[in-house]
Amino acid sequence: MSTTSAGLEFHDVTVAYGRRPVLWNVDLTVPGSCLFGIIGPNGAGKSTLLKAALGLVPLAGGEVRILGAPLDQVRGRVGYVPQRESVDWDFPVSVTDVVLMGTYARLGWLRRPGRVERSLAAECLDRVGLADVADRQIGRLSGGQQQRVFLARALAQQADVYFLDEPMAGVDARSQERIFRVLADLRAEGKLVVIVHHDLRSAAEWFDAVALIDMRLVATGPVAEVLTPENLRRTYAGRLDVLDEIGRAVAEGGRTP
Amino acid sequence: MILAAADPPFTAAWALPYNTLVVAAGVASVGFAAGVVGSFAVLRRRALAGDAAAHATLLGVGLAFLAGGGRRDLPLLLAGALAAAIAALGCLVLIGRWTRTRDDAATAIVLGVSFGAGITLLSGITARGVAGSAGLEQFILGHTAGLTATDARMLGGLSLLAVCLVIMFLKESTLVAFDPSFAAASGWPVTLIDYGLVVLVALMVVVGLPAAGAVLVTALVVIPPVTARQWTDRVGIMLPLAGLFGLVSALAGVAVSSVVPRMPTGPLVVIAASTLLTTSLLVAPRRGGLARWLSARRTVAAWAEGRLLEIALRLEGAGPFTREQILARAPGAAAASAFRRLVRGAALEPVVVRGGGHAWRLAARGRELAAERTRRLAVWTEVLEAAREDARGQLTIDVPSPESILGAARLKSIRESAAAARGGPGPT
Repeated sequence: MSTTSAGLEFHDVTVAYGRRPVLWNVDLTVPGSCLFGIIGPNGAGKSTLLKAALGLVPLAGGEVRILGAPLDQVRGRVGYVPQRESVDWDFPVSVTDVVLMGTYARLGWLRRPGRVERSLAAECLDRVGLADVADRQIGRLSGGQQQRVFLARALAQQADVYFLDEPMAGVDARSQERIFRVLADLRAEGKLVVIVHHDLRSAAEWFDAVALIDMRLVATGPVAEVLTPENLRRTYAGRLDVLDEIGRAVAEGGRTP
Repeated sequence: MILAAADPPFTAAWALPYNTLVVAAGVASVGFAAGVVGSFAVLRRRALAGDAAAHATLLGVGLAFLAGGGRRDLPLLLAGALAAAIAALGCLVLIGRWTRTRDDAATAIVLGVSFGAGITLLSGITARGVAGSAGLEQFILGHTAGLTATDARMLGGLSLLAVCLVIMFLKESTLVAFDPSFAAASGWPVTLIDYGLVVLVALMVVVGLPAAGAVLVTALVVIPPVTARQWTDRVGIMLPLAGLFGLVSALAGVAVSSVVPRMPTGPLVVIAASTLLTTSLLVAPRRGGLARWLSARRTVAAWAEGRLLEIALRLEGAGPFTREQILARAPGAAAASAFRRLVRGAALEPVVVRGGGHAWRLAARGRELAAERTRRLAVWTEVLEAAREDARGQLTIDVPSPESILGAARLKSIRESAAAARGGPGPT
């Protein structure tokens, strides 16, 4: 069923903080299995769109459906990578402890992670290349390693739809490549991966489709159709330095991984 | 004098040792539970909210006293205190949700207002000499002398209950304390768990009232967890450790106050807890001030010595070198003392030896060390280029051997990928 219906649908979604609107009437349908980028300037509402999909911010209007159903019916099939700065990295837990948190929802109340969960956590850490820091306190990692811990935790959720909020922020090229490869593998397994992203060059390189957002949906569709100079001008009104970069990125074209 | 000693409620002499024992056990479990529950207050950054709740308890004690018709019945008074503490926390939530007041201001307001009201009420009651009101002020700074064995058993029982609840919901509380938005996104009722934790904190504040008093009971809830955090990087170890520190502090306070007449227990508990804290802040491994100072010193020294050897190796191409020649190329105070260390160490393990007159030259050992350091730096540089994060996570300024830090296999794969990146346009 998830192969026939859309992975993620926003119907007329509006979000406001207080009286200030953050997103206006977003109508967006994302197919069931792809790498999908949400792209736009700072303060465009990219993260808010993600949080709206996850039920973390109240909708002023509209509805969101994931895998054809309301969020509450499919929570167990949704994985999430929050922004790295959203937590206190001095918290006294190890890398493995954090990854195990991805199994908590499946375990439910009171049940503790056992051998099955531990071996799953080890496997997820291995996938993101962090097996040798599994026992380290999370504060003693580099930014990119912390980001990969979050990715491993999302993998441990064994979801069908993954939401990632700026997973490449503060990440070096090698980590970025590694994260993108893991995400491409997820797509190959038939999952939907939705990524809030700021770098247009790597977006053009890795994503199948994107949505350009600036408080409203500017354009959505396959990368080559959406990242046009005209659309970019409408999204990044006046920010010419960005336009140059995009021009180059689009000219180079997407890469097929 | 508001710190009047309570009349001991027991009269039979034979009851004394048993009663003392039970009270001690009760207070010990209160201290333990306060540390355990308090750990989550600290980790969830709710320490100040707990303080506001604590100050509000006095109002509850006073109202419960009046409602009970002037009976000094500890369960009744504590029930009033708990209601007041929860009400104060409720006010915090409401202020946060419906006004645009910031958290710290809201906390200060609730704390100040409820404490003021509580003090006014208690003073009013005692000033009028209401029958049975004599010991009420003891809730301000704490005094355990008046506790009966029954009271102590109740306090101990509630403490054990709180500890059991924390252990039962350890997984859920840790998740919510660490990453509430992830918890919410994966379907956990974050608000409910949060309220549960806050009510537990309120319960511990109330249970700790007889031991530490409204003003100081947060010290029992906040200081032991912060102390425990210095010694461990794991929640699972931090909790029992915080409990242990809380237990020791509470017992120490109660023991001293039972010897010194008219001494309230609260301040003594705080003194004991803060002694443990300052000691830990100083001497704890890794996080402690001493350890950090030493490691900073070692770091600077190791770097300076390495630099000097490197420079010496280069200078030696043109024969023996002088101290001035080296220091001219390595500015900074650390270099001069590093040079002294290199020269002084010469007796044991010759690194630098006399090269005639004021000149020096590298001994075989020194040449070896310098060459090894140069080699390591070259490898690290390569690793930095190929895998900046792996390198940055693990490279330290004393230039450790990359083979021992990264492992031979991993180093090999990193160097191969670096070579590939240099040789071609990159993997496609």
